[in-house]
Amino acid sequence: MTIPTFILKNALRNKRRALLSISSVAVSLFLLVTLQVALRELTIPPQSAGAELRVAVRNKISLTNPLPARQRGIIEKIPGVEAVTPFTWFGGKYKNEGGMSFAQFAMDADKLRSVFGEAKMDMDGYEKFNATKDACVLGKITADKYHLKVGDHITLDSTVYPGSLTFTIAGIYAGTPDDRNMLFRQDYLDESIGEPGYVGMWWLKVKSANDMAPVIKAVNAAFQNSAAEVRAESERNFQLGFISMLGNIKTLIASISTVVVFTLVLVTASTMSMAVRERFRELAILKALGFRRREMFAFILAESFGLAVTGAALGIGGAYCLYTFGDIGKLTAGIFVSFEVTPRIMGFAALVAAVLGIVSAVAPSLSVARMSVVNGLKTLD
Amino acid sequence: MRFVTEPIVKIRALTKIYAQGEIQVTALDHITLDIAAGEFLSLMGPSGSGKSTLLHIIAGVDRPTSGECLVQGVDVTKLNESQLADWRNQNVGFIFQTFNLIPVLTAAENVELPLLLTRLTRAQRRKQVETALEVVGLADRAKHLPRQLSGGQEQRVAIARALVTDPALIVADEPTGNLDSHSAQEVLSALQSLRRDAGKTIIMVTHDPKAAAFGTRQIHLEKGELSQ
Repeated sequence: MTIPTFILKNALRNKRRALLSISSVAVSLFLLVTLQVALRELTIPPQSAGAELRVAVRNKISLTNPLPARQRGIIEKIPGVEAVTPFTWFGGKYKNEGGMSFAQFAMDADKLRSVFGEAKMDMDGYEKFNATKDACVLGKITADKYHLKVGDHITLDSTVYPGSLTFTIAGIYAGTPDDRNMLFRQDYLDESIGEPGYVGMWWLKVKSANDMAPVIKAVNAAFQNSAAEVRAESERNFQLGFISMLGNIKTLIASISTVVVFTLVLVTASTMSMAVRERFRELAILKALGFRRREMFAFILAESFGLAVTGAALGIGGAYCLYTFGDIGKLTAGIFVSFEVTPRIMGFAALVAAVLGIVSAVAPSLSVARMSVVNGLKTLD
Repeated sequence: MRFVTEPIVKIRALTKIYAQGEIQVTALDHITLDIAAGEFLSLMGPSGSGKSTLLHIIAGVDRPTSGECLVQGVDVTKLNESQLADWRNQNVGFIFQTFNLIPVLTAAENVELPLLLTRLTRAQRRKQVETALEVVGLADRAKHLPRQLSGGQEQRVAIARALVTDPALIVADEPTGNLDSHSAQEVLSALQSLRRDAGKTIIMVTHDPKAAAFGTRQIHLEKGELSQ
């Protein structure tokens, strides 16, 4: 027999309790990893392949305020700008669903490849999108969700504009970080609502990364003191603007994570205390046989650490496998398109487990250290 | 009886007072006692007479309020917690009334426990365990768990555990208290042969005069005082 064998035999002497303890740690750490990944996905959205060359231009007052369509000509003339497309929120509801099922934006069909080049579909799709006014292209996730295919017609009731529009699916794209949106033609929208001369915002593609800062500066300057001042910013900053609105969700997730960790500490500490309490007499015998406080602490720590680490391996490993090899779209009902369990998150969860193992061992170790052999022996007879 | 050699246990004016709230209970009152090497001392007395307290102080698991307790020339009352643990491991073998084997370990593993604190290799430990189990006649029960053994066999495993480190002193606190007469006879015979064949010094606390008769000397404690 070796010391590790002895520790293992002790840890597994009550198999049901060991299993339940490991399970509680595993489930809690699975939840912790899930929350951390969700928090990361909400606060650091995945970057598109072409993001470093895209500029978002919106109304300086608010994203909901439209921009005059005539701005296009001015923007196109700014040096460094390769392509410009309007991008107008339609806010359509599909079928009888209560809320909006997926986002729809109107844009220039011929700018799809140049501005959002990562949205891949077959050539026929691009051609139909260019050629047909009521054409739309649909993200693969949404197409799969509603079993829609090329050639199908869909009708959306707008929550922004009066009436509804019917579209013909020209293609189904994939390859963006979020293949859920529907893109349709700005001219179709303009025609249906009587050519109002406004767009939601502009997306620009610049020629090179070096052009980003000058273009942003030039666009902002171009409409300064006009009736529709704009805020031009990189795609990254544009996304972060959205994220700043999620402050409360971040706090909520952080709070839940804290509660999970705290509960975990209580459960594991309680388990270890119980395990040690029922072995108090045996620990007194070990002391009598010559085992010192540090060895007793090592036994308890190893057992506690072992339980926590085994639970952590199952919980973190389970989360990694599920979110890496599982279908996130289906698992989260389309809320998340990416759910990456990063090494940093796994490391954080492992650290929590390690601290948990140590903290849980402290109270029982102290009680064993304080126990005199005689008092321990008195519990025997 | 006079000893020609230096006693293995030398106790001088040993006093132990327990504080129970505001009341102070004197468990041992100025005890002076010598125990010779190779002696089998039966320590008798009624409950609360202080015999277990005396045994615990000699074995280094309790501390006196005052007085000296030298075992093999070492004053155990002066050792700190860690030194005392090492000293116990090397010099004292314990036998308890309720056997106190670890239920998840086999007989051999229970016997091996004190050896885990030594520098012996696994093979050396195994050899010593085999020898100890052979001494108590349980070599064939090495792989049995405590629950698969009778009470007498469990206590013999405990004896093997007590002698596996080859300590000079074996202390036994009511070792036959939980055994039937046949098993008690076996255990007492085993202790007797340890003294006779291996030269161990044995101090046994017992209520039972028949058990005490196995010792080479009997002493009585009454209200914390010796009455030989």
